[in-house]
Amino acid sequence: MTAPISSFMPGVLTASAAARVGFAHRCARFSLRARGDLAPLEAALGLSLPDRIGQRTSAGEREVLCLGPDEWVLHAPESDATAITAACAGVYADHPHSLVDISGREVSFVIDGPRGAELLTLGCARDLDTIAVGEGRRTLFDGATVILWRDADNNFRLDCWTSFATHLFHLLDTGVRELGAENH
Amino acid sequence: MSQYRVSGRGRVDTARPVTFTFDGKSYRGAQGDTVASALLANGVHLMGRSFKYHRPRGAIAAGSEEPNALIGTRRGSGRFEPNTRATVQEIWDGLETNSQNKFPSLKFDVGAVNDAAYMLFSAGFYYKTFMWPRSFWDKVYEPFIRAAAGLGVSPIEEDPDTYASRNLHCDVLIVGAGPTGLAAARAAAVEGLRVVLVDENPEAGGTLLSEPQARIDGKAAWDWLAAELEALKALGVKIMTRTTAIAYYHQNMIGLVEKLTDHLPKLPADTPRERLWRVRSKQVVLAQGALEKPLVFHGNDRPGVMLAGSAQTFLNRYGVLVGKRPVILTSHDSAWYAAFDLQDAGAKVQAIVDTRADVDALLQSEARARGIAVKLSHTATATSGRLRVSSLRINPVAGGTVGAAQDIRCDAVLMSGGWTPSLHLFSHTKGSLTWDDDRTTFLPEKTPEDCVIAGASRGLWGIGAALADGAEKGRAVAEALGKTGAQVAYAIEADRPGTGVSHKELPTDLSAGKAKAFVDFQNDVTAKDLRLAVREGMRSIEHVKRYTTNGMATDQGKMSNINGLNIASDALGKKQPQVGLTTFRPPYTPTSFGAFAGYHRGEHFEVTRKTNIDSWAEAKGAVFEPVGQWRRARYFPKPGEDMDTAVRRECAATRASVGIFDASTLGKIEVVGPDAVEFMNRMYTNPWTKLAPGRCRYGLLLGDDGYIRDDGVIGRMTEDRFHVTTTTGGAARVLNMMEDYLQTEWSDLNVWLTSTTEHWSTVALNGPNAAKLLAPFVEGVELTEEAFPHMSCVECTVAGMPARLFRVSFTGEIGFEVNVPAHLGQKLWDILWEAGQQYGITAYGTETMHVLRAEKGYIIVGQDTDGTVTPYDAGMGWAVGKKKPDFVGMRGLARPDLQAKNRKQLVGLLTEDGSKLEEGAQIVFDPKQAIPMTMVGHVTSSYDVGTTDQPIALALVEGGHGKMGETVYIPMPDRTIAAKITATVFVDPENTRLKI
Repeated sequence: MTAPISSFMPGVLTASAAARVGFAHRCARFSLRARGDLAPLEAALGLSLPDRIGQRTSAGEREVLCLGPDEWVLHAPESDATAITAACAGVYADHPHSLVDISGREVSFVIDGPRGAELLTLGCARDLDTIAVGEGRRTLFDGATVILWRDADNNFRLDCWTSFATHLFHLLDTGVRELGAENH
Repeated sequence: MSQYRVSGRGRVDTARPVTFTFDGKSYRGAQGDTVASALLANGVHLMGRSFKYHRPRGAIAAGSEEPNALIGTRRGSGRFEPNTRATVQEIWDGLETNSQNKFPSLKFDVGAVNDAAYMLFSAGFYYKTFMWPRSFWDKVYEPFIRAAAGLGVSPIEEDPDTYASRNLHCDVLIVGAGPTGLAAARAAAVEGLRVVLVDENPEAGGTLLSEPQARIDGKAAWDWLAAELEALKALGVKIMTRTTAIAYYHQNMIGLVEKLTDHLPKLPADTPRERLWRVRSKQVVLAQGALEKPLVFHGNDRPGVMLAGSAQTFLNRYGVLVGKRPVILTSHDSAWYAAFDLQDAGAKVQAIVDTRADVDALLQSEARARGIAVKLSHTATATSGRLRVSSLRINPVAGGTVGAAQDIRCDAVLMSGGWTPSLHLFSHTKGSLTWDDDRTTFLPEKTPEDCVIAGASRGLWGIGAALADGAEKGRAVAEALGKTGAQVAYAIEADRPGTGVSHKELPTDLSAGKAKAFVDFQNDVTAKDLRLAVREGMRSIEHVKRYTTNGMATDQGKMSNINGLNIASDALGKKQPQVGLTTFRPPYTPTSFGAFAGYHRGEHFEVTRKTNIDSWAEAKGAVFEPVGQWRRARYFPKPGEDMDTAVRRECAATRASVGIFDASTLGKIEVVGPDAVEFMNRMYTNPWTKLAPGRCRYGLLLGDDGYIRDDGVIGRMTEDRFHVTTTTGGAARVLNMMEDYLQTEWSDLNVWLTSTTEHWSTVALNGPNAAKLLAPFVEGVELTEEAFPHMSCVECTVAGMPARLFRVSFTGEIGFEVNVPAHLGQKLWDILWEAGQQYGITAYGTETMHVLRAEKGYIIVGQDTDGTVTPYDAGMGWAVGKKKPDFVGMRGLARPDLQAKNRKQLVGLLTEDGSKLEEGAQIVFDPKQAIPMTMVGHVTSSYDVGTTDQPIALALVEGGHGKMGETVYIPMPDRTIAAKITATVFVDPENTRLKI
């Protein structure tokens, strides 16, 4: 049986010469849905909401990725959660939107190493070359919905729902060792 | 050096000998040999027995198209693979191989009696012989057929190897690394294009490996090849060998299987045996080349009878002479060159027998210069030899008359019936083919995919033609991708262009009816079988194929298709395109199940979702059950308890004091927006407008058809925000359905849906002490009847954690569901568990949950409903908003059939003898009626472990709501049980226990 999610501690979980998979610290996560004039929300959040799917913006430690025509995911420090909720609630009456706390829903793996991008090809059917550094995508990894944040050529964060994490990690771990055994 | 190894020839490394075994006998080969080339180097041609007649067979080819030389390979315990082609399997020190389909030994096989009885095994034999009696099929015929005819034995041990898969995106994928593919790669390998070149062989080069005499741009073929591969790598071309393109799927997705370890003496750590690549390429160049056809004549399957091109390959690539006194039998120029190569390597070619009257004078003079006898306008009519060919019988043909026979002594017959373009992957694309009369073959025409086909696979011949076409097609695909391909031209010397003709079975002076002239070697189909199929009424090649099994073996007719078609079209008196070509289907060559399964086996077979509280349950010894992808604690047995005992204890404890239950898997959807309430009104049967914030309601979700699809308690957190719960298994389905309606039907609504299933850990407390236990931890609301009545919800703090608290009950007891952010779930559970000890708190699982809810008549969607149950059938008409203008399923519910009086309706059942009914058992009104009885319903839920004084059951019964108190009968195998129809609520019908 795979290890329970609670046994994952922030830090490196598995590594080889080819790639490394770590577990990210917990953060506040929100799903933000809105249409129309976004300026009031942007003002409330203190950042601009990118209008192209896959684009990211950030302000301080708040970071947002556009997932759909009216959908963003927002990451921030846990301590910032209350402020974000309050700020959005403040503009709801005039600018209705949906802000839902999903902090508990997801965890993130951090993937890096010289062949970090290749590691993702084990489970992701997307052409990773089309995700520019500094962008992100919602996609599938090994059949589960994930969000990929590309932070550098071979440096990704992979957000997944908690109950899929051990399964996905099992494949990532297999892949880290498999890539590490290759003579490249 | 082995007897048949030629010094100075081949690409194998004879300085590195490799020892392996075949049928227990040890043989020595060289590094780079296949099993076939190593055995041939040792003079061994007999490698197997045929499928149906158990005829002795040897390798006929040198590559993956080999139909005969199928062997078992073993690498220690568990690592056995049947039906491996000896021409593909590379040897390594310690490899164990064995022949198949023989008993007791390869040289003496009692199954060969089938060969003597061949008249019985003709086309359609299975259909004719095993038609009747029907009852004989399972016990007599099928086992007999399976035992008698067959290839290798399936492995029975679990495969200890691992298999992998990856995705690969590229701009140009080139299948086949022969001259065509290499030239295409060079032309397409320009800045900005990702080019991938794959080949099934251990090394790239294709034809060049078998034709070292050619010179390209002034370099010997092999030197040019080595330099070109380096150059391509330097240009960034990804070159993959031992990699077979098995299938061409829609929209330029190609499946590749890469073999990683089968050729290695030691298995490296962490390395899968095979890897399936899912390649999406913008453009594909198919450069698979052509496959040589056998000639069809009596005895053409005797070991030592081989394809001439393969003999040339064995010589030039492996340094092996397949015979020292070969005779060539051909209808194509290419075999002449094979003769020359073998002669030049020291063999004494006995003759070149060509079916054609006119052959290039240059070839004839080359033959004469080597002292090789030439026989033009000849046919072959037989071979002799027991386990190895020893002579070929040939006859002159003049004006359609077969003349007197002559026997040529030989130790090998090297035949060529011309070449068939390899159209397999092209066919996978649903590409259309066109018949080329001159070449007597099908050529590729159009494909709907972004794909070009080049070189020999579109009928071109010769290295020069292949290189030129490859370069042109490589440039074309680069251009299609908006780039300018590289201009490349090649100067070729010592090329071997040529032509040939294609035949049906060769003419003979012997009885055609007794000829064993094989068309499909792997399925033992002869020319006679094909003609018989036509005589018996088969008209289409598809019918001929199925009736005779021609082309239906694992080689998919790579050698037999065109010969079979030529014969069938001759028998039908029609042109080949009117008879048709059978369709090639993936995979191109046999592929292991492991490659398809990839990582998804063992514990990684499918995701097992676990809640944050799962490890606590595991530590407590919970027994789990799968619910959708989740695993849930089913019950918590104490030492010595079986399920019934544990569940009985858990039920009693919950009704007596307090039980704790992990309800985290319940689906949760946050519905937010100004139109949230309108959305809820349209989605669920219930009315939501008047539900005040802070209150919740049981919601019923129907499909368009009016049948129950899902249910759950829904809380209105604020005016514009609903916390929807769904069944565990229905969570994803319900969200999809909602999104579907929202995006396609109700884009007017300003509302958004977010899955929060996993955001929350949900801990349920039920029982008379639930409020007492929970109250001290709750800040923000008082758990009293007045402040927080049944069906209330609130955002508050529980044990210092942000929480959504629901007062709901799925047990009939005072009940709460505490939702906290998932990562805090275990902490909350621990606190409540600790504090609950004073009340004797008991953890219960899904089984107890099922029993307690059944005692209250609460349905479980999917157990008490089966997709044909309306809210009225389930006795829940109260949940349908009668005044609402519309909701999903409203129209469906209005259909006459759904309003019929006598529908199956959910009722309770109590057996007269106090026994427990079986779930799924059928119900009848009259047990004395004749069989088959009229069944009027079935038992949906049944328990005898709860807190009622006798077993209870829920059932769907025709008109059940109008039959309260009546008796129905449940016939079982040993007896018939009588049961009384009751209401569905067995415990506390007045709901007094819900009150704090």
